[in-house]
This record gives sequence, C-alpha cells and structure tokens, in this order.
Amino acid sequence: MADGELRKTFPVKPRLKSTPKNPSSSPESKYWRSFKTQQISGLISAITSIDFSPEPPHDFAATYSASVTIYDSQTFEPKAKISDFTDVAYSATYRSDGKLLTAGGESGLVQVFDLKKRIPLRQLRGHSRSVRLVRYPGLDKLHLFSGGDDALVKYWDVASETELINFQGHKDYVRCGFASPASSDMFATGSYDHTVRLWDVRVSSLSSVLQLNHGKPVEDIIFLPSGGLIATAGGNSVKIWDAIGGGKLVYTMESHNKTVTSLCVGKVRKNGGEQSQQFRLLSVSLDGYMKVFDFSALKLVHSMRYPAPLLSMGFSPDCSARVIGTSNGALFVGKRKKDPSSGDNDIPGMDKFLGFGSLEEPESRVLKPTYFRYFQRGQNEKPSKGDYLIKRPAKVKLAEHDKLLKKFRHKEALVSALNGNSPQSVVAVMEELVARKKLLGCVSNLDREELELLLRFLQRYSTMPRYSGFLLALCKKVLQLRADDIMAEDVLKGHIRNLKSSVEEEIRTQQSLQEIQGIISPLLMIAGRR
Amino acid sequence: MITGGKSYVSSVPAFSNDGKKLLLCTGNTVSVFSTSTGMQITELEGHQAPVTSVFVVPISTSASKVLCYCWTSSLDGSICYWDFSVPELMKKVDVQLPIYSMVIPGLLHPQIHSNGKPSDLYAYVSVEDTSKQGDKSKVLRGQIRKCNLSESRLLGGVTLSETQHPEIITISASGEFFGIRNKQRLHVWKLPSKDSEHDVVRKMTLHHTKKLTILAFHPTERILAGGDVTGRILIWRGFGKRIFSANEKQINGRVVKHGEERPGVIGDDDADSCSTWHWHAAEVNALSFSSDGVYLYSGGREGVLVVWQLDTGKKRYLSRIGSPLLYFTYSPDPSLSLISCADNQIHLLEMPSMELSKSISGIKPPCSFPKIYQDSFNGIAFDHTAGLAAIRTENYRIQFYSLFDNREISQVQVCERNHQPGDDVTVFVTLLALSIDGSLMATAEVKLPEEGIGGLVCLKFWASGSQGGEFTLSTVIYEPHSDAAISAIAFHPTQRMAVSSSYGGDFKIWIRNNDQQSNQMLQKSGWRCHSVGTYKKKPITAATFSPDGSILAVAAETVVTLWDPDKNVLVAVVGETLMPIVTLSFVGRSEYLVSVSQGLKPQLSVWSMSKLSISWSYKLHAEAVACMIDASIFAVLVLSNSSEKVTCEESSVPGSNGLILLFNVEDPVPLVTWSVKKAQGGALAFLKVELSLLNEEVTDEKSSQAILAYVNSDHEYVIFDPYNRKDHKITTNHRGNLIPLEEAGRSGYTSIYGELQEFDINGDSTPQITFVPSERPWETIFSGSSHVLPPLTKLCSVFLESLLEKRSAVQD
Repeated sequence: MADGELRKTFPVKPRLKSTPKNPSSSPESKYWRSFKTQQISGLISAITSIDFSPEPPHDFAATYSASVTIYDSQTFEPKAKISDFTDVAYSATYRSDGKLLTAGGESGLVQVFDLKKRIPLRQLRGHSRSVRLVRYPGLDKLHLFSGGDDALVKYWDVASETELINFQGHKDYVRCGFASPASSDMFATGSYDHTVRLWDVRVSSLSSVLQLNHGKPVEDIIFLPSGGLIATAGGNSVKIWDAIGGGKLVYTMESHNKTVTSLCVGKVRKNGGEQSQQFRLLSVSLDGYMKVFDFSALKLVHSMRYPAPLLSMGFSPDCSARVIGTSNGALFVGKRKKDPSSGDNDIPGMDKFLGFGSLEEPESRVLKPTYFRYFQRGQNEKPSKGDYLIKRPAKVKLAEHDKLLKKFRHKEALVSALNGNSPQSVVAVMEELVARKKLLGCVSNLDREELELLLRFLQRYSTMPRYSGFLLALCKKVLQLRADDIMAEDVLKGHIRNLKSSVEEEIRTQQSLQEIQGIISPLLMIAGRR
Repeated sequence: MITGGKSYVSSVPAFSNDGKKLLLCTGNTVSVFSTSTGMQITELEGHQAPVTSVFVVPISTSASKVLCYCWTSSLDGSICYWDFSVPELMKKVDVQLPIYSMVIPGLLHPQIHSNGKPSDLYAYVSVEDTSKQGDKSKVLRGQIRKCNLSESRLLGGVTLSETQHPEIITISASGEFFGIRNKQRLHVWKLPSKDSEHDVVRKMTLHHTKKLTILAFHPTERILAGGDVTGRILIWRGFGKRIFSANEKQINGRVVKHGEERPGVIGDDDADSCSTWHWHAAEVNALSFSSDGVYLYSGGREGVLVVWQLDTGKKRYLSRIGSPLLYFTYSPDPSLSLISCADNQIHLLEMPSMELSKSISGIKPPCSFPKIYQDSFNGIAFDHTAGLAAIRTENYRIQFYSLFDNREISQVQVCERNHQPGDDVTVFVTLLALSIDGSLMATAEVKLPEEGIGGLVCLKFWASGSQGGEFTLSTVIYEPHSDAAISAIAFHPTQRMAVSSSYGGDFKIWIRNNDQQSNQMLQKSGWRCHSVGTYKKKPITAATFSPDGSILAVAAETVVTLWDPDKNVLVAVVGETLMPIVTLSFVGRSEYLVSVSQGLKPQLSVWSMSKLSISWSYKLHAEAVACMIDASIFAVLVLSNSSEKVTCEESSVPGSNGLILLFNVEDPVPLVTWSVKKAQGGALAFLKVELSLLNEEVTDEKSSQAILAYVNSDHEYVIFDPYNRKDHKITTNHRGNLIPLEEAGRSGYTSIYGELQEFDINGDSTPQITFVPSERPWETIFSGSSHVLPPLTKLCSVFLESLLEKRSAVQD
C-alpha cells in the first residue's frame, strides 16, 4: 500500500475538455459509427428502395430509375442489373427464400423476376396507376400484396397472376406497406390520406381491421420485430403505435427536421441483455440525418449526418452492412467487420421479417473442483459468481515525452511532444515544464531544426482559442529569446511571417465579431426588456 | 478534552526488544505503536513537558525478551523509568534542568560489582543551563552532564562539555563511546570499563572544515561517521587509538609524530584515516550503521535513503520518499527498520529489500507557501459532523485526520504531481472547503507562471465516495474567474450549490446538475456556473451562505452585501469596515453576521441583519472564527501582539500568544476566554458530537451539543467542551498547549467579567454604547448597482428620514 504510494508516476495530462452534452462515446454510438462508410455514386437518379436478401450472403437490391441493381453486401460490387422495365421501377423486394424478386413500376405493372436468369417470370396487371408498394406477406411464397397511386391495395396469387382481393379504403396514394411478422395473412399499408390501415385477408368484409391516423402523409411503415408495435413515418415525425392494444399511440419521435422517408430495424450486437433490447429503429430523412432510436428505452441513441437528402435505407440481417440511398443517385454503404465472437449461424428461412437469426448460447457446464478440468483452467477463465476478484492495479501508460520528463530531459521531452501530432499533449508538456520552471530554458536551448518545429507549432495553434492565452505569451518570449537565430535563417523568418499573418487574421475576425456583437447586444437588451 | 496531533518525529524513535513495539515521543507523552498493525497500543503519560528521548532497556538473554522497560527524559527536567507493557511509571528522577538528550551507557554492558551487587547506573544527559542569561548566541547554554540514576541526582561539578545549544548525544552500540557534534568538531568520549562517580571519561575531538550535523558509531569497530551541512559523509577509521589506549601521562606530554601516513585526517586528530563520501546535495540528517556494520545508511533533505557498502562505497537507493528524512532506526528484528520523515510520517521498511511495509502517519505539518497565497486561509477545513480535519499537505494532497481518534483517515491527491523536497514549489492548493455534511469538497489551486507565462488557477469539485474521507474528482474548472485568484469558496448548507469569489471583482455561484434521466447521464453530473455577480467592480474577499441557505453574504473588500443566491439579486448592503474583510460567517440561526478584517486596523465586527447595521465591534486581530450552527454563539481565535499592552493575566503565561474568546452574539462581553500558544495560523471549529465520546457523565445537558476544536500553527490540536465545568478534572494530565483558566471555577460569569474590564481597554469601540440602527445611512443608501437602486425621489425621503432618526437617537 505504502509502496505504491511512493512510486507513483503521473503522466502529463492535457487539460480536460468540456464534454458535449450527448456523450459521443457511448457504446451505442461507437457501434453505429463502426460502420465504415463509403460512397457509391453514378446511379442515375434517386434510389427509392433498398432491400436486403434474407438469405446469406445477404445481397441487396437497390431500385432507381428504370432498373434494379443487385449488390454484393461484402464488396459492394454490383452483381447483376435488371433493366426489363419500360418505365420507372419501384419497390424491389425479395421473397422470404431470397430466390425471387418483385418490383412495381410507374406504369402499374408488377413484375416477378427470377434472380438467376433475371427475366420476368410473372407480370401482374391490375393497377391503373403507378405501383410504389410490392411486398410478400410474411413467409408466404405464393402471394403478393401491392399498393398503387390509385389508392387501391391488391392481394395477388402470383402463380396464376390473378388478383384475389382488392382492398378499398384508402383515399389517396398508397406508398408504403409492411407485412406483419406475426401472421402472413396480415399486413399494413400507409397512404397519403394520413392513415395507416391494417388488413387481414381472412376478413371477407374487405374493410381494414385497424385504422391509425398519423396526421401527415405516411411515407413509410414498419412492424417492429415483436409484431405488436408499428412504426410509421410521415412528415418530420416517427410514431410508434401499439397494434395489439387497439392502435394506441406509444411514442412520437420528432427529431428530424424534414420529411422522414424511410424506416428500418437494425440490431446492436451486445453481450448480455435480452435479445429484444438489441433492436433499434433506424430512420432517414430528407434533412440528411440518420437517427437511431432505442424503442425499448424510448430514447434516441445516435444520430448521423450525410451530405444529401436521404430516401431509403436497408440494414443487413447479419448486422454487417448498412446501405442508405439518396435523392441524387449516390449510395452510402457502411460495412462493419464481423465479430469473430458472434459466430452467427442464421437459420435460413426463419423469420424473414426480422431477418435476424436468434443465437443459441451453448450451455456451459460449471467447473467444480471435482472435475479434472478445474485444475487446468487457463488465464482466460472467467470468474464465477462467488469468486473474489483481486484486481491488479492499472498500469500507467507513459508516452515518450513522459518517460523523458521522468528522466528530467526536458528539451527532449518538448521535442518529442512537438514531433507527435497532438497539440493537447504539446501544451500539456509545456505546462508541466512551466511548473518545473524549465520552459524558457528549453526554448533557449533548442537548435535550429527544433526551433523550426516549435515555430511551426506556434504558428498553427497559437490563434486557437483553447491554447491562445498560453501560446501567444509563449510566442512573445520565444521571439525575444531567439530573435538573433530567427533573423539568421530564412526558413524561420517565413514561419514568423506566417505567424504574423495568422495573428492578424485572428484580430480581424475578432474585430468583425465585436462589430456583430455591437449590433446584436442592443437588440437583445430590447428583447430582454419585454 | 482530547489532545492530539503531536509530532511523531520530534526525536529518535525506539524499538522494543522483540521489535514488535515502537516507542515514539509525542509531545508530553510517549506513544507505543505496534509495528505489525501500525496502530497505537498505549501511551505513557507522566511528563509535564515534551519528551526528548526514549531509551529501551536492552535485554541480553532471549528468555526475558518480553520485559519492556524504558527510560525517558523530558524538557521538564525529569527522567522516568517505565514498564511500557502495562504501562506503569516505576521511577522518576528529577534533574531540574531541561533535558534535550540522554544516553545510559551502563545499560548496554551491565557491570556487576565484585560483591555481586549491580553498580550504580549513570546517565549522560544533554541539558540546557537555564541559569545563564544574556545574549543567546554567545553564552554556552548546552551542557553534557552526568547523572546518577540509582541515587537520582545530578552529579555536581561533572560537566563534560559546554556548547552553545544543547546537542543530541549519540552512543555506540556497545556503549563504549558516545559523542556529540559541536559546530565543525566532533567530541567523542570513551567510558571507563567501570563507571563510577569519580571516574574521568576521556574525551577526544575530531575536526572538519564544515559544520557537522550528525554522527554515528560503527557497532563493532572503531569507525565513526559524520555528516555535514554540504552533504558530505566523513568516515574516520581507527579513531582514538592514541588517546583512549594511552594512559594519562602520555596524553599530557605527547608529541605529534610527523611523517605518519594518515590520509584525510586534519591536523592532530586522532584517527588512522578519514575518507569522504559525497552524494547528498543538501545536509545529511540521518546517519546510521547497520547492525552488522557492513552498511551505512544516510538520508537527508532530498528524501532519498542511501545505503553505502562500507568497504567499497557502492550505493543503493530508496528514492521518492517525498519528504526530508530525519532518522533511520533499525530494530532488534533484522528484517525491520524505520525511517522518520519530516512530514510527520514514519515508514517501516522490510529490510534486505528496503520495501515499505507500513506507514504510521501523524497529522501533517503545516506547509510553507508564499505569503501572497496564504493571507486568509490557514490550510485547514473541518468536517463538523464526522469530526475530521482536512489538512493541506506539502505533496499536493489533502489529509483527512480524525480529531477524535487521533489518526489519519485518508489522503486525497488534489494535483497529480509528486512533491520532491527541495524543489521550487510552483503549484499550490490555495483554498479548501468542505460542505457541512462533509459530502462535498472544493479545492482551488494556483500554478505560478514562469516569467509571466503559463499561470493557471483551477477550481476543483470533489464528491465523497463510499467511505468517509474518500473523495473523487467531480468537476475541474480552469480559470474560474479568468486569471484572478480565488479568495473564498463556500458551500450551500442544504442544496448542491457553492460560491467562489475572486479578487478580480466577481463571484460565481456554482450548482451541480444531476440529469437523472438515465444511468448514462448520471455519470455526467457536474458543477456548472449558475450566476455571476459583481459589486462595483470591487475585489470580493469573502463569501458565505446563511445557515438556512436563503442569503448569501459577500464581502466586497470593505462592504458587506447580502444577495439572494437563487435569483442572484442584491438584497441589501449592510455596511462598511475600515479594512478589507477576510472572513464572513453567519452566527447560527441568529440574525447576526461576524466579519473579520485584518491589516493595520484589524476589526472583529458583528452585524445585525435585521437592522442592517453594525451591532458591536472590537479592534482585535482575529485569526479564525467558528460559529455554532444551531446556537447564537461563536468563538474567535485572537492574536495578542506583544507590542500591544495586554493586561490579562492569561497572557502572562509564557509562550502563549493567543486567546480564544467565546461570545454570545447579543452580548459583547465574552462568555469564556482561554489562552493558547502558537495561535498564528491556527484554526477553530465547532464539532458536532455525542458527548459520550468525551465524558460519560454529562450527556443530557442541552447546551453541550457542540464542542470546540482548536488546531494551532503546528497542527497540534485540542478538543474541549466550552461549557463543561468539570473539564479541568479530566484535563490535569493533558495540559498541552491549552492552559485552562487557573484550573478551577474561573468559568463563572462574574470572574470573567472582572477580567474583561481590563481587556476592554484594547477595544476601540466601547460595546456598551447603543448604536443608531444605521450609523451613517447616506453611505449605504446610495450604494449598489444603478439598476438596483430605487429612483432618487424615493431615496430622498428615506435619506431625510434617516437623518431625522439619527438626530432623535443622539438626543436620547
């Protein structure tokens, strides 16, 4: 105890920054930022729909203009392109086994494609106006439902190309819909008449089972994995409804600034915790933001900005890829390294609508001292519940400049910090040298290259508000101490010129800011008086 | 009454014969510590003045190792013989001269007379001859005298040596030699094999060119080591061969032999050779040979223990002890030794490896800071409920010391720095404040700039952990008042609110925001600025909250102002003093406020908040003020300057330079006074405690819910009940630094009233005069920010009214 007390070494630490209100480093947002985003551009127009194949290797289909392109979700290379459309294609969707793909079109024609041959197998005619919604209901491989701008929702038998049911009830364009994960006989559609209707094919009355009023034209609708909750997007809000409880509004998320265009369910890989708590609702909007919403905690956990209006998004069932389509023909694809720990063996075909295979933990036997293996436990053995943990004191990590400071080699420490690329640590080392009253001695001992290093640093950072109070005073001292050396070298003179100009620029900025302040402060005074 | 906080390192500690106990001189007592637990076992009480040396009676046979006898000497002129296992005083020898050091060579090699009776026991004592008066630098006041312990008398006429100051006597392990240092010389005496009253001990002197600080004898050989002020260590080998072996005739008539090879030996010194080792940069304080004589241990101001191999001069180090070393002592147990450090800490070392096994730490001594940073704060804050004192230490820490248990609770590292003794200190913890419940702490630190660059003021808020005295850093605020220094920090009594004031002319109210939305946000709770206030751009010198937290009192240099802390609105301006106020404090739940101003015209004032005026004041140099939280009583620690003519009887007590006065706010006559020593830089506090801790008998008395703690400038403290009249009975053994009022019945009101008639001469304002509610209202009516002031039309009537009031009062 006393021993550790004596031999403690404190590494120099930069001054703490004021932390932003939303901690950016929460494990959630760390996870969402771990998708390495790259951009695929060159698609001609807006990408209206993205759908991942439920089968490994989880290719995805992006619908844009008059074509559908299949991409590999690992390499993001285009695998195939279907362009048998006479007009603009919409809503390309995989069947639950990933073998067939269906897409609607501007002309009102719904086509079913074989993925191998990429030719239309069936063509379903019935809609008089463009069809923006085509989906397979649940695990059902034989039927389809579609919704069109003619305000009709149709239920098709694919094999015979016949229309089984024609649901009437919407009064405006039907633009979105989603099959219930609980039953393949039920699905919900959303329309521009502000309503969401839940349909059941077993009900003969042809009227909707449930009707929800979103309040804005509904852009997208999704069943949350439990099947009991529905999330709807319309206007700049996302609403979550309790479908089982008779369509009660659970929560309204209004964090987007513009129309929310697409919703999707993502999953966070977490060790421990219930599986139902790992699902997140992802939404994209025309304001360029993607937001991640934890609907079990009813809390926004992450937000991310893209430089374009976003129209559609998809999330790979194995959590390795995230694709976002924009209105200007660019795809933002994000890929995440597969966790080696989560050996994911998706059971094919099982709950396509969740798209996520459940992970069965193999039950491990508790080791007891009567087992032979108990005595062969290795370093990686996890402690059991009753074990008393003896923690090793955390080792202090020392940077190079810390080691040099420990040996009182002050100038070397300063140079080593200057050679690094973190201005905080340079300032921290300088402050430590001030505390030891050695900084000016170091400055006067620097040789030519090192002085150049210091001047470059000063020129770059001395006008930064965080450091300026300290660094500008240091600049003055450096110039006083090393005036002769600086005068002798042209390179150093150049640095001084740069320093001067950056200081002048900062002064100009400050002056203009003061002018603005002068304009604003009377206004604020007046406003405050009222 | 509890006393404590004594220095553990005032003199050389001693181990018991089995090495399981450690005897430390702690003030007037000797404390016995266990070396295995580091806790105090018992205390030897009996001396009336600080104990200066402990000498454990060695036991030669292993069977009797359990016997625990020791001799102690004290400045009160007595030598005591103890059985410290019981503990029991067995014998007392009165010498009548203050003893600074004592050795008893007879114990180290017990002699048996021919008739089988043990011979008389002689002690050699270093005493101060108090009879010699005059110029202190000239007169030789220190004497080495011989004392017959068996017959308990000082041998007359046997004065071995006279020095300017009393010196510490060092004795060799065999008891054959002992010596002292005297400026640039070492005096060494050889004891005759049979010590008796009339035997002459022979003396020799070794010379050096520098002032020597310490000497040490080799346990077996004739080797003597000495350390000097420059850090050199001199090793004399074969000292005293000529003088001590030759008989008396030869000594008198001897001639110096020339041509003899004696390297390093100065002049005529009697030694074979003298070698010099130099590693220490500053003076050597601790010097000791190992028990087998192979190694030499040395330590000094650097705080590094150096182990020299005696034959080769090779060195090993134990570094980063962090405080100047004072003594190195090895125990009879070969695997245990200790080093005493100047920061009142004793480290027990596991020997061959020199690893620290245990530390016994006393209260930290006050640390020296540049004058500008310690004008108002004395480095001590109190946790009133737990009875802890938080003390600023030299190594950038806060030590929490339990005043009731007299032991250290914990240490909190405030700045992440290591302290190296001897280095220039550039970072100071300037202020320290604890909330009333002790759960929050605030510290302010200042980093000195190097030639004008890089200075930094830093305010830190801490939250207490699970145990008392454990604090974790909650918020760091850099430059809270831009670059101005912080003058005061105070916590709100109930809410999570604090105020910090600065000499730069503003004060800030900080609140702790707890966003308890979820678990993640909970960790991010921190302190942030709630509001900023200024008063006429004057430096704010003190700030405090009222006990219910509804009012914030802020002293803007000389003006006392009251604010609403929540709305940050100036409520009232109370009045003005002559000199800047350094301390403000509300008196309990009453409507009174105490202010202290120091400087040329020191003043202790009590302000009434209902009348917004001064109630009464004294011209006193108050060092500290403590207010009872739930009663209208406060205590003031007052320095009594020697220049002022103090006629109180208490001040005639030698060495006392301060008074503690206990006041009731409504009455300018103090209830009780006590005279104390070392008051400059002292601290006062009322602690809440159940009195069963102090005295089992008195528990149901209403008035004794708070007890007063006084910490003096050496951080020795005393805790006592200001009301308890039976106190003197318990305190007879603890006279310490507090001299109770003539021991008996003086706390009665009438007797004190009599004394204070004389004392009142010093007060510049006669307290009996009733004050006009607002003395000079035209000064206060118009003060305040212009936006706070009512319109002039309203003020005019108030102004005129006040004039009328005054006139009528004067007429009365």
